[in-house]
Formats: sequence, C-alpha cells, structure tokens
Amino acid sequence: MSKPVRINGRGVVKGRAEGIALVADATLSFWGEVDPVTGRVISVGHPLQGESFAGRVLVIRSTRGSSATPMILKLAKLEGKAPAALVNLEVDALAALGCIVNRIPMVADLDQDPFTLIATGDYVVVDADRGVILVTKASVLCDSPAGHSPGR
Amino acid sequence: MDLTKEQQDILEGSRGEFLAQCMRWLVEWGEVMRARRLVAVDNTHVLLPVPNLMARGASRTTMERYVAELREACRHPTHPRCYCTVHTAFVTLDDLDVPENDPEQVQAQRELVGLAVASGFIPTFTCAPYLVGNVPLRGEVCAWTESSAVVYANSILGARTTRHGTESAIAASLLGWVPEFGVLLDENRKGSLRIEVTAALDSPTDWGALGYFAGRIAGLGIPVFNGVRRPSQDEAKQLCAALATSGGVTMCHIAGVTPEAPSPGAAFREEVPTDFTVFSDTSLRETYQLLRNPTGDEIDSVILGCPHASIREIAQIAALLKGRKVAEGVSLWINAARATKASADFMGYTAIIEAAGGRILCDTCPTNMRVPARRIVTDGFKQAHYARGMLGAEVIVAQTEPCIRAALHGRWIGNE
Repeated sequence: MSKPVRINGRGVVKGRAEGIALVADATLSFWGEVDPVTGRVISVGHPLQGESFAGRVLVIRSTRGSSATPMILKLAKLEGKAPAALVNLEVDALAALGCIVNRIPMVADLDQDPFTLIATGDYVVVDADRGVILVTKASVLCDSPAGHSPGR
Repeated sequence: MDLTKEQQDILEGSRGEFLAQCMRWLVEWGEVMRARRLVAVDNTHVLLPVPNLMARGASRTTMERYVAELREACRHPTHPRCYCTVHTAFVTLDDLDVPENDPEQVQAQRELVGLAVASGFIPTFTCAPYLVGNVPLRGEVCAWTESSAVVYANSILGARTTRHGTESAIAASLLGWVPEFGVLLDENRKGSLRIEVTAALDSPTDWGALGYFAGRIAGLGIPVFNGVRRPSQDEAKQLCAALATSGGVTMCHIAGVTPEAPSPGAAFREEVPTDFTVFSDTSLRETYQLLRNPTGDEIDSVILGCPHASIREIAQIAALLKGRKVAEGVSLWINAARATKASADFMGYTAIIEAAGGRILCDTCPTNMRVPARRIVTDGFKQAHYARGMLGAEVIVAQTEPCIRAALHGRWIGNE
C-alpha cells in the first residue's frame, strides 16, 4: 500500500479527526445551503447538492456568508451530523468560531492544492494540532484488503 | 493574546463558569484570527432564536440543549456600556394561523424574551437593526450577527464590526470585549477589488443585483464601487444584503459615500488597482436572470422585506395595494421589525395592506419559519437565493412594483 499524501497547513482549530473526504472547489454557506438535521447540502446547483458531510472531512475553499454558521454547526453537532473536520483554503471567521465552539478541528493555509490531491471518497486524517493532513487515495483503499472502506 | 488581569481572572472563573466559557470563546477565536488583544465593544446584535423548523426533525434533546444555552446566556446582565439588540427569530410572537408557527416553540421564545429583557437585551427581532434605532456611529466598535447588517454597519455607517456568530455576540454583550482582528483594524479595511459601475441603477433591487454580482467575485474580499451615485437607505440595504449572500463580504466601499472613502483612492489607501471589473447594463440584466428560474407563470407567494422593510418601503407597498386585492391563493408577506409595524399600524398602512389581503410579518420571515412555497416572487436577492434551497421553491427576483403586480394577478407577468 503506497504512502499517504501529506499536505501541510495551519492548524486553525486544534484537534484530530479522520474520515472520508467530501470535496468541492467551491464555497458553502451553512445558513440556507445545508440541513443541520440530515447533514446534507441543500443548495440548488451547488456541486455538493444532495451530499452529506456528516462525519466526513469537508474540503472546500471556505465557508461564506452567514452569521448563523456556528448555530447550524451546533445543531448538526447535537444531532451527530457535523463534519469530522474542515479543510479550507481561507479562514472564514465564522467557520473558525463554529469549529471552536463545537470542537471541530480545522486546517487552512495549505502548502499544496487540496483540490488536486484530495478527491471525494479518499480517506483523510486531519491533525490540526500539528497542521498536517494525510490523504489515502480511494483507489488504494479499494485495492488493499486491509484498507478502510470508503463507503458512506 | 495579551490579556489584562481582569480578563485573565474571568477566564479562570472569577465570575462563574458561563462567563469563563464566554471568555474562552473570545480568546480562542481571537488567537485563531491572530488578534493581539481584546478591545471594548459598545454595541451588539445577537442571535437568540429557538430553533423551530430550522431543525426540522431534530430530536427533543437537541432542541432542549440548544435553548438551554440561550437561557443560560440570558441569566447574566449585559455589559452596562453595550447597546444590545436582538436578531430575528424563527417564529413570530404575533398570532399567526400557520402550522409552522409551532405554539410550543413560540412559548419557548416568549420565555426567552422575558429573560433577555431582564438581562438588558432589546428584543428588536430584526435583521436590520439600523432601521429601528441601533445606528452605531463612525468608528463605534460593534459585535453584530447578521452578515447583511454587518456590511451595512461597516460600509454605510463607518462603524466597525467583524461578522459574529451566536456565541461571540453573546460573549461580547455580557463581557463588553471583542477580539481585535479583521475590519476592526485600519489596515484590514482597505479595498481589495475595484468595480466600475456603468449600469443605470433605478431601484433597491437593482442595487441588490450589483451586490449579488460583486459578492460572487469578491469572496472574502472588500469590493470598492466607483461610478455610482449615493444610494438611498433602502438601496444600501439591498446592496449590503446581496454582497453577504453571494460572497463572504464583511464590508465594501462606495466611493464618495462610505465615510472613510471620499474617493476610490482613499478606499484603496492610494494603491488603486489598474485592473477592474465593469458592472454594465448587460451585467445587471444577467444578474437578475441568475435568480429567475420559474417553469411557469402562476405564483403562490410574494415576499417583500428582506432584509426587513423600512417604514418608507411599507408606505410604498401600501400605496400600490390601496383599494386592490391580492389574488386568491397568493400569500403576500411583508417582513418588518415590530417597531416598524407599530409605525405602520399608527399610520394606517397595516390596515390598507391587510384589507388587500397581505400581511406584515414581525420578528422573522417566511423563509426562516419554513412556510411552504412553490413559486416565489421577491424584491430581495438574498431572499431569492436562500428560498431556493431552504424552501425548495422556484424564485423570481424583481423590483417591488412588478412583485406587487404579480401578487394582484396571481402570476408573473414580467416587469412592464
């Protein structure tokens, strides 16, 4: 099994989490564009429309817009549908606040393009204490009998 | 971050566990955002809503735990220096005969209002606090939730607020401090992209189109608009709301209008970028088309007052509705702050609107409440953008007059 790909960044909100990646080279507003109870993206025409971020590592450019971001993350967290971690290019202050309040690790300011290196379905370990992201490709997971299942 | 002795003591529990928690939120947030200290805050606008259908299908435990924290927040007095107002709720406290206004949630919200008032919050329940008395002065440090109001405070009033969330705004209200980062600092208020406006902007909704266009390209940046006249208050409201909808914008500059930007040069601190984007009449038309996706003409909802309507907008709507009737099967909603509705009641506008079959909805909006709608006409870009996903509705964004015409005819008949 080949070595995981490593991306370095800034551990914005500390903590460690891992899970299947959900990736879009796009921004997302937690207000009005997601349902905190199902953990799904509901925004019409959004590249992640219909996808669930529950328990997954959400890789997007940044969150956008609303001051309700921490509130929606809190409701999602209480329902067990929050993302496992956030990997963003830019730090939106409201995503940072939402992650702090709800203990969700967040990494940003990356040294490589996450949209080239991480695809939806890859298995990602986010170590925000050290600012390190380790990516195991889904193809490797499928080939390896000992690998994690990339299923939902 | 450098903390004073008093701040450090609070962090260590000198004023109890909840205020220590509040201080931890502010300090940790400040460190993440690279603030070096906490600064005094004069003015807050906080979120205190019970979740209602925002959390449709959530467990009872989730709802109770969420509200329990808001109750705890309202057990502490607000800081004596702070003017603290309250954002919209997800229910109306007025009687409203729709199942979405869940009586149990309304009761929980009423109880919260009682606690909030006792602790010093002013329950304005609006997304546009600047329309109902909370008008910070130039340079005033604020901690506001509601991203559209944040853009308005920074860009139109020259006040200073980053975009806040529930916990940070509550902590600021009770402790009287905020971490100093982002647009609280001079160097972060500089324009980052230049937009030359050649389009003729004739209405608040046209200004909303400009904001929606600019937010899409601005991301988290600070757009500078050049070539536009001074907007009216209603036009500025639409511009700011749309900027914070399609983008993560915290402030913009309107050259000649924003207090600290008498010229484009001032907005860019004399480093005016040579490249710019043009907002032309074609861009204006194309931006409207982004939020017009009907598969038919018949409509069931007209939603005005996003952000909450001013008394002047309500007067205009009443004039258009006087002596007429909204079509059968169409709901005409005009969202407004309670204080604005009190003026509308006093001036006779509410009676005219209700006689025509419309209603003024206080404290919230139909989208917040999740009132079902299949095809919506609205004069707010923000409303149109979010209603698609939140209500699963088709939307048509248009100026106020054609919205009212659609309400009277029960179908979208175009702009003319």
